[in-house]
Amino acid sequence: MTTLRLYLYLAICFFTLAPAQAESGLEIRIGSKKFTESVILSEVITQHLQTNKISTVHRDQLGGTRLLWKALVQGELDIYPDYTGTIIYEILQGEKVTSDPEVKAALARHGVSITDPLGFNNTYALGIKPSTAAKYSLQSISDLRQYPELRFGFTNEFMDREDGWPSLRDHYQLPQTSVRGLDHDLAYKGLEAESIDLIDLYSTDAEIAYYQLAVLEDDKSYFPDYRAVILYRTDLLERVPLLQTYLDQLVGSISEAEMITMNSNVKLDGHSEAEVAQEFLNVKFNTLSKIEVSTRFDRLITTTKEHLFLVSLSLGAAILVAIPLGIWGAKNSTQGQIILSVVGIIQTIPSLALLVFMIPLLGIGGPPALVALFLYSLLPIVRNTLSGLTGLPIDVQESARALGLPPAARLKMIELPLAARSILAGIKTSAVINVGTATLGALIGAGGYGQPILTGIRLDDTGLILEGAIPAAILALLVQWSFDLAERTLLSPGIQTKQETSS
Amino acid sequence: MIRLEQITKSFNGNEVIHDLSLDVPAGKTVVLVGPSGCGKSTLLRLMVGLLWPDQGSIALFQKYLSRKNLEALRQQVGFVLQDGGLFPHMTAVQNMRLMADYLKYDPDKTDHRIAELCELTHISTDLLNRYPAELSGGQVQRIALMRALMLDPQILFLDEPLGALDPLNRVSLQEEMKSIFSQLGKTVVLVTHDMGEAAALADLIVIMKDGYLLQFDTLSNLSAHPADPFVTEFINAQRKPWQQLEDQIK
Repeated sequence: MTTLRLYLYLAICFFTLAPAQAESGLEIRIGSKKFTESVILSEVITQHLQTNKISTVHRDQLGGTRLLWKALVQGELDIYPDYTGTIIYEILQGEKVTSDPEVKAALARHGVSITDPLGFNNTYALGIKPSTAAKYSLQSISDLRQYPELRFGFTNEFMDREDGWPSLRDHYQLPQTSVRGLDHDLAYKGLEAESIDLIDLYSTDAEIAYYQLAVLEDDKSYFPDYRAVILYRTDLLERVPLLQTYLDQLVGSISEAEMITMNSNVKLDGHSEAEVAQEFLNVKFNTLSKIEVSTRFDRLITTTKEHLFLVSLSLGAAILVAIPLGIWGAKNSTQGQIILSVVGIIQTIPSLALLVFMIPLLGIGGPPALVALFLYSLLPIVRNTLSGLTGLPIDVQESARALGLPPAARLKMIELPLAARSILAGIKTSAVINVGTATLGALIGAGGYGQPILTGIRLDDTGLILEGAIPAAILALLVQWSFDLAERTLLSPGIQTKQETSS
Repeated sequence: MIRLEQITKSFNGNEVIHDLSLDVPAGKTVVLVGPSGCGKSTLLRLMVGLLWPDQGSIALFQKYLSRKNLEALRQQVGFVLQDGGLFPHMTAVQNMRLMADYLKYDPDKTDHRIAELCELTHISTDLLNRYPAELSGGQVQRIALMRALMLDPQILFLDEPLGALDPLNRVSLQEEMKSIFSQLGKTVVLVTHDMGEAAALADLIVIMKDGYLLQFDTLSNLSAHPADPFVTEFINAQRKPWQQLEDQIK
């Protein structure tokens, strides 16, 4: 029982200390969504504030609108750029606001302020290949009504936004049923490969020109304006009184053409968002700042550190919690079934959903990722501990009891050493899965090997994807090998010989 | 030495021991014998507290078994299973020392005791550092016997100790056990389904059938005054193949 108490204590420490780490530092945190334009805009804001001697950190590629908005309202982020249409139809959905003053008032109720538009309008549009347009003679969205067989591929966010597919369908009475959600950057590839016929576009996407896509006319003027603005926490002005002045300097400064060029420089010409943002600021504000370009090796060191941190801490905590749970379950069969069901159910929660659930509790960054990975690591260890202990040969269990060893001594001297092979195998499974799942941590700003993969997918840069995927695969192999080695050194030769002779 | 008072035991609603009483005298070797499923192994497990009776009570050394004194009483008895029940992750000597070390006995005395037991069971000290998987069936049973005798218990329980051995090993270990039992003068309760083994080892024999104790007596009395036709049948059944074989040879 004392060891159980110790484990519980460690687990509590882990849960309470981890969030504290996220709140340290007085840097202004700027977030961006998981698409290039958002990353560029946040990079522009970040560098502009840095030029004005304000210490900032850019937490890039954090996922979708709801995640960013939640993080902003909860104070996990201080600033992020968004679009007027998104604010009205997505964030303030249900509050029925339309005019600018109404929007301002509604945002103020959440403690959030908004700047005037930055200049360009990046509205939604529907794009098709010119060959498809010619084949069906499609020019406007209304024309789609005659061709129910057309296959649509929309971003997941567009699929269920209030201003997205469902109301677009109602507005135009569209009959299509083959509609699926997919990543925006993959959508272009799907269109090119002709596995889908039509996708949603952002009107400032660089790819429109690159793939020479036909844009269908919004003839019943469905899509609202999507003017880029900056959202920030109102209480930030107390900390940085000049902030509003600096942000207002960006208002009206980016034209549609300039935004398309910046998008294109990143997505098609392979420049980093930081470089593109810096060049833009240098031209606009006549500054001469130079940003440091990180090398592939530097990035690898950083992502490796982040990844190892995520894996080792979450796995370590899982071991401390799962083994006692497995022992407990093995001793009480009803409770064992309950424990296995609960950790089994946790395992079936989709990882992205679990990560998002964690945000209200733990914010963004390392802590929610750690907790999610910890939860996912429980099942294999609990299951193998439980089955390792209950599967011991009956004669061994009987003779341990008949010798007069008390239960605690039986567990420590006989049962756990004999179940060690099974328990180690469970930990190994958890560790290997953990290494892979940890790549998803990048979606909520936890870094790791997922970061280059995420950027690589967004920029269609195979090199970057491999920069994350190869080390993740190597790490998984190393974990596998080190556990094989541990099995050979930690397990008694008595049970290893048995294994060899029986196999 | 061992007293069973009106024991009843059921598994999943099937009564496997019916109102059974038995008094095992000190210093005697008592063999429980009967066909498979007669309840003899269950009875042995009840005596060590591996199972609990539904009704009735069990006393060892005039003390009733309870969950409180269970561990203390178990440390005063030895138990040997059919497959030895050695712990596979420990060497032979680690298996033997386990309880002595756990109870913090003087290690020198333990070493001395091990040497003594090796002599008694004719086990070479070279074998002591092997793991159970590296030992033959006969060696495993000898080590298991030594482990059971380690703390010099007053009672020794054995469940089919020779059941897993080939015939040659079985005969030699049976003879050895007979001499060990007589040298030690302990109370021994042994379970077997082999009447020959019972005849060779027992001072007293318990014949069981379907959860009932049919007769508890010496071999000669069982033969001369069987309490039930089954007693004669059981004794003779195991002689039959031999008689037929001898008849054929003649």
